[in-house]
Amino acid sequence: MNSVSTPSKLYSGNFTYISSSPFLYFLPPLMGLLILWQSDDVSLIVVLLDVNPFFWASSAASVGDSTSPHHPTAILSFSKLLNHVIPFLNSLLLLNQLNQVVLVATGVNSCSYIYDSGDSEGESAGSVPAVCSEILRRLEEFVDKDRLLGKGPDKVVAAGVSSLLSGSLSLALCYIQRVFRSKARHPQPRILCLQSSPDGPEQYVAVMNSIFSAQRSMVPIDSCVMGVQHSAFLQQASYITGGVYLKPQHLDGLFQYLSAVFATDLQSRSFLQLPKPAGVDFRASCFCHKKTIDMGYVCSVCLSIFCKHHKKCSTCGSEFSQAPSDPNATPDRKRKTSEV
Amino acid sequence: MPQVRIVAKNFMDMVAALPAMKLDKLYESAFICEAVLRSLPPMAKRYVLQMLYIDSPVTAKSMEEWLLPDGFSKHKVAIDRLLQLRVFVEVNDRKKETSYKINPKFQSNIQKHLVDGGTIPREPMASNIVVRLPTIEDLETYASQQWECFLLQLINSSQAEKLTSFSSSMIKVFQRGLLSSRENETPKLTENGFQFLLMDTNAQLWYIIREYISTAEDRGVDPTDLISFLLELSFHTLGQAYNLNTLTDVQRSAIKDLAGLGLVKLQQGRKESWFVPTKLATNLSLSFTDSSSNKEGFVVVETNFRLYAYSTSKLYCEILRLFSRIEYQLPNLIVGAITKESLYNAFENGITAEQIISFLQQNAHPRVAQKIPTVPENVTDQIRLWETDRNRVETTPSYLYEDFPSKDVFEAACDFARELGGLLYEDFKNLRLIVRIEVHQEMRDFLRRAPR
Repeated sequence: MNSVSTPSKLYSGNFTYISSSPFLYFLPPLMGLLILWQSDDVSLIVVLLDVNPFFWASSAASVGDSTSPHHPTAILSFSKLLNHVIPFLNSLLLLNQLNQVVLVATGVNSCSYIYDSGDSEGESAGSVPAVCSEILRRLEEFVDKDRLLGKGPDKVVAAGVSSLLSGSLSLALCYIQRVFRSKARHPQPRILCLQSSPDGPEQYVAVMNSIFSAQRSMVPIDSCVMGVQHSAFLQQASYITGGVYLKPQHLDGLFQYLSAVFATDLQSRSFLQLPKPAGVDFRASCFCHKKTIDMGYVCSVCLSIFCKHHKKCSTCGSEFSQAPSDPNATPDRKRKTSEV
Repeated sequence: MPQVRIVAKNFMDMVAALPAMKLDKLYESAFICEAVLRSLPPMAKRYVLQMLYIDSPVTAKSMEEWLLPDGFSKHKVAIDRLLQLRVFVEVNDRKKETSYKINPKFQSNIQKHLVDGGTIPREPMASNIVVRLPTIEDLETYASQQWECFLLQLINSSQAEKLTSFSSSMIKVFQRGLLSSRENETPKLTENGFQFLLMDTNAQLWYIIREYISTAEDRGVDPTDLISFLLELSFHTLGQAYNLNTLTDVQRSAIKDLAGLGLVKLQQGRKESWFVPTKLATNLSLSFTDSSSNKEGFVVVETNFRLYAYSTSKLYCEILRLFSRIEYQLPNLIVGAITKESLYNAFENGITAEQIISFLQQNAHPRVAQKIPTVPENVTDQIRLWETDRNRVETTPSYLYEDFPSKDVFEAACDFARELGGLLYEDFKNLRLIVRIEVHQEMRDFLRRAPR
């Protein structure tokens, strides 16, 4: 090997160094020189389904009332929603044998895990009709329980009752953290919020905290808003965590939206055009009255937000000595809170 | 050194190579649709899902609009694959624009799956029949034992304690390409054989299965039947028993061979026989190699280049012997050392440093697997250095000139070659000269013109 064989009496002789082993030349033709394509599209999808009865009851009422709806396609009944969502969950599981789907129901007073595709592996091996009825049964149970919880003494029934988004986000993140810690090689997680009820400004701090912890653990939050208005919380959530925010125009074709946009795994997202948000509503809620505000006061120590001037920060206790001279005339005391 | 990696060609490449008629026939089975869908690249999966409920063809141009600028190569790979497997069918309309349409049979099968869910290929044994079924752990040990036994027989027939059900001609077929068997010589592992041994179980399995299927025709079996049966098998539930009577004759003869590989365990009941799929079988349709991560590692490498392998397996001993010096063997422990000589041996046989390192990393004992890095850095660095040691020499095609008539001619030739930028070596003492092959013609002309 590597030896130079000099032809003895030759004016010109071709000589080459041989650097590689002679075995190379015996490559049998049947050996494929194919590089095994490694797919990293194994995903863990936590779907947060909004089951707010107040919203779905009102939408069901307007579906039934055939004369009034001006956007017939903008309203969906809950059972129709499930007709879209369950095949969607199914398709996620179909795409990769190792994909895992967790369904979390977001109620008004509580949240709960409804279905975990990783659990059922041993027993029924996920025959779909069984899974489907299981989901329906547990959803029903959940709604009943949720209703009982709401029947406390301080019961509030307002028109736009919001769901406990912060709770279900935290449940999802807890679940994902457990997966992170229990397995060395874990699937890529993401969260999908199927939200219909309006935002609850009183959950502002909790929701933002969940969003930031999702950002820290690199979990994108996708949001699909089926309600009447845009959701500022979810716009911010998707914006901050790099997820997709979408408010479908035609809810009749919800499955197509779900499968075309939200079924895309994280790896493919860097190659595909996905809906981009037209604008993000960065408004915050004040800590004192839980109102959504455009402008407000920010504590210089802990960055808590207030709608009016306080002597003392209610969060960290810092004292603000200087009283504002005139809230309208001194714009420098007021802070736009859009840098959150 | 050219990068030669043998990796078991994907099973789906074999499926893709089938003629269109047979492929369309395969798609009548929902399992095959499902398995094919799972084998696709992620982008292709997404396209299928997106097109699933679109009945009219979509033009190639509008599909490209879904992409970001740097997604084109992935897009092309995905579309090529979809067309190869006939999941997408090309449609040319009057305007000569290419459009794609999803294969109708494939479409309806997947649609059905989404709404109704998959069905089970065949009914498992009814639970009222009392037969002791092996536990999942039993099955796993059975499968790995069977597989190891097969591998050992493959590389070294004399070492294997019990032989698998494969005939020696079948084994010969598998050995083709892995062993070089020259006349009057004991078979020696080729470079490919070594690389085969270092692959993880799933990749090895694919390789063997592929060989098994490609020789099916010689045994009078239609490869399509085998492919569809293997894919179907991967959708059976792990650890459940299925009646052998539900199989066709072709399948029944195949399942005996598969039992030899450890894909299924055969069980003899009082009246009927059953087969129980193992993990190897249910992982078949898995598109990515997961088995290695679940396997418990056993190798500890220390910074002093010593290697401790907690294994009773003869096969692993043989594999470790490929690149290390085995010092002693205890009942459950193999102790060896990675030395320069042992590695040179391995490199000589075509194993690369990366393969050795990745083998050590993949099979790291759980105790060290948690550490970062799992294999000490000085060891990995040294392995790489020893490899690059061998690759210090470059080849340059060139010509040697000697026997010059005089020193003057020699010097003139040297100058001429230097001017052309082709001089590689000059030896004034012996009047020898080496030039690049590119300038040989000019050199010859020059020498011919030179005064004698």
